[in-house]
Amino acid sequence: MPDAQASGTVSGDAAACALAYLTEMSPDLRAAAIVGPGGAVLAASAQPDRWGEDVATLFDVADRAGDGAVEQVHIGTEQGEVFALRHAGLTAVAVTERFALASLTFFDMRSLLRDLAAGTPLPTFTPQEGGKSRKRRSEGTGDAT
Amino acid sequence: MPPKPHRVLLDRVSGYADEAAAYMRRRRASRRPFARLYYSGGRAEDHAEDSTAGSELFVAAGRLIEVAGKRPKP
Repeated sequence: MPDAQASGTVSGDAAACALAYLTEMSPDLRAAAIVGPGGAVLAASAQPDRWGEDVATLFDVADRAGDGAVEQVHIGTEQGEVFALRHAGLTAVAVTERFALASLTFFDMRSLLRDLAAGTPLPTFTPQEGGKSRKRRSEGTGDAT
Repeated sequence: MPPKPHRVLLDRVSGYADEAAAYMRRRRASRRPFARLYYSGGRAEDHAEDSTAGSELFVAAGRLIEVAGKRPKP
């Protein structure tokens, strides 16, 4: 079943917010990026200029490796693991430590892309003093601290 | 008749050696690199590291891991 396209243009701010949310949710995450339909990097946690080309190469190789368009890629190496997922014309890529929980990581990435594509505001986390404990708040709840 | 004391010791040592060998086998299996592609409908495909597609996938993944860099210290 082909993926539906994103309902509207995803802004860089929304993608950055989504990326921050993913980073907070996944303790094993090293870096991640969200790439738009045209291959433009919407948000990246490290070296934004390099993600676009490398993600395109990864999916190009993956599509050629099998028959048909690949939906998800999971590669584990000694140096870390790569998770990549396409949904609604958007692509999320995450690099994690070894032995990250694959199904949870894919679940988080998929729900993030689904919300981004639908234009749903994502919940955000506000780090508390000390940086250890986090308080979850939803946008628009008026929890201004 | 109870077994001779040295037999008990030998059995115990060989038991520990078997456990260690099994642990190393499991560790080797879990640390082996893998490349898995998922298609719509839940179909998945594994690509061996020594295959053409597999090696290309590992090179592409290696570039992304390099871009990501090391994990930031908390």
